[in-house]
Order: sequence, then structure tokens, then C-alpha cells
Amino acid sequence: MISGPQVATAHSESSCRTPFLQEVCLPFLLEAQNADGGLGHRAGLRSSVEPTCWALLALASLSNSGELSKSARSAGSWLLQVQLQDGSWPSSQGQQEGSWVTALACLALHTNGVGPQAVARGVAWLCHAWPGEGGLWWRFRHWFLRKSVAVTQNYSFRGWSWTPGTCSWVEPTSYALILLRNLPGELHPRRATLRQRLGEAMLYDRMCPTGGWNCGNPLVYGVAGEPQVGPTVWALLALQDYRDRLANQKSLEWLEQAYEGLQGPGSVTLAHLCLETYGRPTPPLEPALQRFYAANQFFHSVPVMAWAVAALSPTRQWLRPARQGAAE
Amino acid sequence: MSASASSLIPSFARTPSRVAIRRAASYQADLSALLFETMREFDLPVRGKTVLLKPNFVGLDPRGVMNTHPAVVGAARESFLRLGARSVIVADGPALERDTEAIVESMRLRDYIGSLPPTFIDLNVDDVHRVPLRTRASALKELYLPEAVLEADFVVSMPKLKTHHWAGVTLSLKNMFGIVPGSCYGWPKNILHWAGIPQALLDLNSTVRPDFAIVDGIVGMEGNGPIQGTPKSCGLLVVGDDPVAVDSTCARIMDLLPERIDYLARAAFLLGHLKEERIHQLGESIASVRTPFEILDSFRRLRSGGNGR
Repeated sequence: MISGPQVATAHSESSCRTPFLQEVCLPFLLEAQNADGGLGHRAGLRSSVEPTCWALLALASLSNSGELSKSARSAGSWLLQVQLQDGSWPSSQGQQEGSWVTALACLALHTNGVGPQAVARGVAWLCHAWPGEGGLWWRFRHWFLRKSVAVTQNYSFRGWSWTPGTCSWVEPTSYALILLRNLPGELHPRRATLRQRLGEAMLYDRMCPTGGWNCGNPLVYGVAGEPQVGPTVWALLALQDYRDRLANQKSLEWLEQAYEGLQGPGSVTLAHLCLETYGRPTPPLEPALQRFYAANQFFHSVPVMAWAVAALSPTRQWLRPARQGAAE
Repeated sequence: MSASASSLIPSFARTPSRVAIRRAASYQADLSALLFETMREFDLPVRGKTVLLKPNFVGLDPRGVMNTHPAVVGAARESFLRLGARSVIVADGPALERDTEAIVESMRLRDYIGSLPPTFIDLNVDDVHRVPLRTRASALKELYLPEAVLEADFVVSMPKLKTHHWAGVTLSLKNMFGIVPGSCYGWPKNILHWAGIPQALLDLNSTVRPDFAIVDGIVGMEGNGPIQGTPKSCGLLVVGDDPVAVDSTCARIMDLLPERIDYLARAAFLLGHLKEERIHQLGESIASVRTPFEILDSFRRLRSGGNGR
């Protein structure tokens, strides 16, 4: 079916793996890993934090042994090596400024039980990294120009930005919230509770009127934007402690309706992960992935392949269901 | 890298630019022949070179009005190959949607350029290099830019003729925002908005100035563009080797005053010609194809007789 290294595993371990996972996804990830331990966005590209994190989270979804375990260890080591002095991680090698991938790096390391001190420093950085719209000057300017602004949203709800000092957006906020809900309370820095509360409020404030989220603004000049799969999935996963809320249910319904028409493996895999986490029925994933893979080999994308591994795996510790008693 | 030292030349020292306006009734027309014949007039230095076509693939586009039409991309690719290019890749980094595969599959790009990888490259997730910006209009100073763009010999900006709710219009210069990688700067690439769109556009285009521009004006978008606007049929392709001149010509076709479009006015100092008398028009005249575009109230000043500065 495919070329590439075969993944050697004990029989009991591999028996719960689907053929696509065992014969395509895992060999792909192992082959894509660079000599330094990291992975690039595509096989053959230089190591980068985001794809390495997704690969590490994917491997954490499996019962690791042998080759996979070795691969996870070296990916974890690479992540520790590229952490910046201030505790953050850069989105690409060479950058000297932390970014949105810091939440993913902390999540991947914590899930794999690697580098607790590095994780603590990363979480501290995240909880101190306020988005640009939090500044006094920005708020004054926004208040002053309030009659001419095209976008109406509550800027007191601050989440996380893609790059330092810019606005809060749905995806980076969701990643940070997923991290915080995975960390035990004793690992939360002082501001974590406040940041969580503001971030969750920001997500609900940015929801599209039809349910779901997009990566921009829900309303521009009064016109409703269309939701998108990626932001909707990450926001729902970040807000799964409130799964019974009308907003969550409405967004899940949008995602279910969109599912049939999805045209990329990344979208299908993420939607599947989310719906399954919420206990919603989904069509079998593997036939769809096989179709997409036959068409374009997922564009050789490491993140998409890693999401596929997570979606096809029986356990996903980092997407654990709602905390007892947390739902409203 | 495509941007050469000669690209930053004050307008007064530049030779006049050439812009061609061609009628194309629909996407079913023989666009390859039309583009090939038009591009031949420009005597482009592409023989044996790697050409990178940068269309405007913003996001999923079920109405088919938001993204550069794949028929235009396919025709441009074929024309550059006929002109002797060694390879012609199609590359973009959509600003609002991470699932680039879904975007290009939903538009059936493969029907026009053949198999997607390796011809198509997602610039959002390419290897990147730090590039100091050649002007300092914004506070950005440097950007990490994709290897595919930096290694291309000849970069072609291929926008759609659209209005834009933050910038007034989005044409070949604004289209270059798509080379800034999402993996570094996010979806959307908010750092560019935060730095000021006109300023960031000048800094980016001064560093990677498109060598050629092909504007898909067969069906454009008016009103609340670049996503939520209304389709506008114009039946035109606008091409040229000076992106400022091409964008200025497009603005005039849209019945807007290019000198009142902030980023175009800034770009006119160093990147190309804005003044009509410095642009040699080929093909149709502007007057014969002028099609007023609806604009948001906040951009009334861009109209002749509007509240200009």
C-alpha cells in the first residue's frame, strides 16, 4: 500500500491500530522526523515547533514502545532545546521572539511527561503575554473612534494573540485554554484563572451568529461571517467544560452539518476529533482519509498526518472529556 | 530572490510603464492564447527561469467570486511555459483558512494546472528565512518569508479585481500579503494589520516587488470586499510589469482615484508609476472599459467628487 519504514510493535499494541494508521500515518511521521529530532511542516523541511508538537501529541495518543518511543523522546528533546530564554517558543527557527506555538509546546511536553520546568516557564510566559488590545492607549483610541469602527466586539475579553502585542484571536486563545485545562491546578501561575475566564469569555463573544467560529471577526460592518472548521473545532475543544451551553450545541450542529461537504483531510480530521470528543456520532474516518491521501498525500503535511493519528487512536489524553461538575 | 536592487527607483527616474487591458468575456474564453499574446508584447525575461505565480486564494469560495479563478491561473502557467520558463509553480498562503488543500480542491485547481503537489506550494507552511525589509514605513523591520518566493526568479502577482473593507481595494500589491507565512504570523496575519496596512504593504513590496501582475477582472467583487462583497462582471484581464501602474489602472477602471488610495500613493514614490501620463496603455482604453464599483461609505473619498484629502 505504501512505501517507507514499517512500524514494529508488539502484537497486542498494533492490533488496535487501523491499517491506515499503521501503514501510512506512523511510517510517514517517522520518516518526516529530522536528524535533530524535530519535524518540519512537510517531510523534508527544517524542524519547526508547531509540527513537532502535533507529532508529539499524536505519539502520545498511542501506547508507545520501541521506535515510536524513541521518536517521541528525540522530538521532546528538540523542543526543549529550542525554548527561548524567556520561557516561550518561536514559531520558526531563528526567531528570537515567542509566539502562539508556546501553548502547543507546553501541551506536547506536558502530555508526554517531559521537561516540567520548561513547561512551567512556558506557562508563566503565556499567562504574562497580554494581547495588544489590552493596552490603555488602544482602548482609549477604540472608545474614541467607536462610532466608525467596522467590528463590534467586547475588547475587555482578552485572549491570546498569534504574535506578541497583536490582537486576540480564536485559535491561539483556544490552544492556551486547552493547555490550561490539561494542567493540574498546582501548575497554574497566579494569573491563570483570570486569563482562563477572560479567554473563555472572549471565545463566546467571538462566536458567529449561526454558531461556530471563524478565524477573523464574526461580524464586519454588520454582516455575519461564515464559520470555519478549524477555529470552530479548537474553540469547542477549549470550551468542552461547558458542553451543555446553547452556544456549544449550536456550534456542534453547525459542524455536523458542515461535515459532509468538507474537502480537505485537515478539516475532516479535526471535525472528527471534535465531534467524537463531544460524543456525537460521526461517519467512519478511515475511508475518507484514504480517499484524500490517494488524491494529494495530504500535501505531505505533518500536522494533518499527526491529527489523523490522534483521530484514529483510541486514547487522546490531551483531549480528555469535561471535568466532573464543570459543565453548566 | 526576485526583488532586485533596481526595483526601488524614484518615480521621476523610472521609464514609463506599460499596462495592457484585454477583454475576456468569460472564464471559458481562450485565456491561454489571450495571455500568451499579451505577455509576448512585454518581452519578459523568463526563459530558463523559475516563475512563481501568486494568485489570491483567500479562503473557501463556494460562490466562486472571492479567489483568483483557476482558469486564469492555468492560462498564465501555460503562457509562461510557452515563453520558455523552466518551471512555473503556483503558490499562496491563504490568510483566512488553514486548510489550503480544501481551498484548492474546492476550486478544482487541479483541472487547470495538473496534479497539485509539487506544482502548488502552500506558502503558509514553507521553510522560511529572515529578510530585512528594504524600507521602514512600518515598524516591522524584518519578516520571515517563504523559501519558494525567495528562490523564485520571477514573481507574478495574480489578484482578483476587488474592493477591500480596510484598504479600499485589493490588487497586485495587496495580494502580496499572501506570501507572509501563517505558520509564523497566524491566520489572519494580524501583524501586518497591526503595523498599518499601507505601511506594511510598502515595506513588503519594496522587499519582494512582483515582477509582473495579472489581474483577474473577468468577475470582480464590489462593496464589502474582499470576502463578503458582491460579484461584479467586468470581462477584463489587466496585466503589466509595474504593479503600481497595474493597480492604478485597475482603480481607474473601478472609477476610483488611485492617488487617494493610501498604499498606492505611498508605493508610487519608489515602486512604480501612478500617474496616468506615465503609463502607456495597451489594448483597451480605460474609458472604454470603466465599470464603477460600489464602495463602502468609509471609502467615499476614493471617488472623484468624494470628500478627498
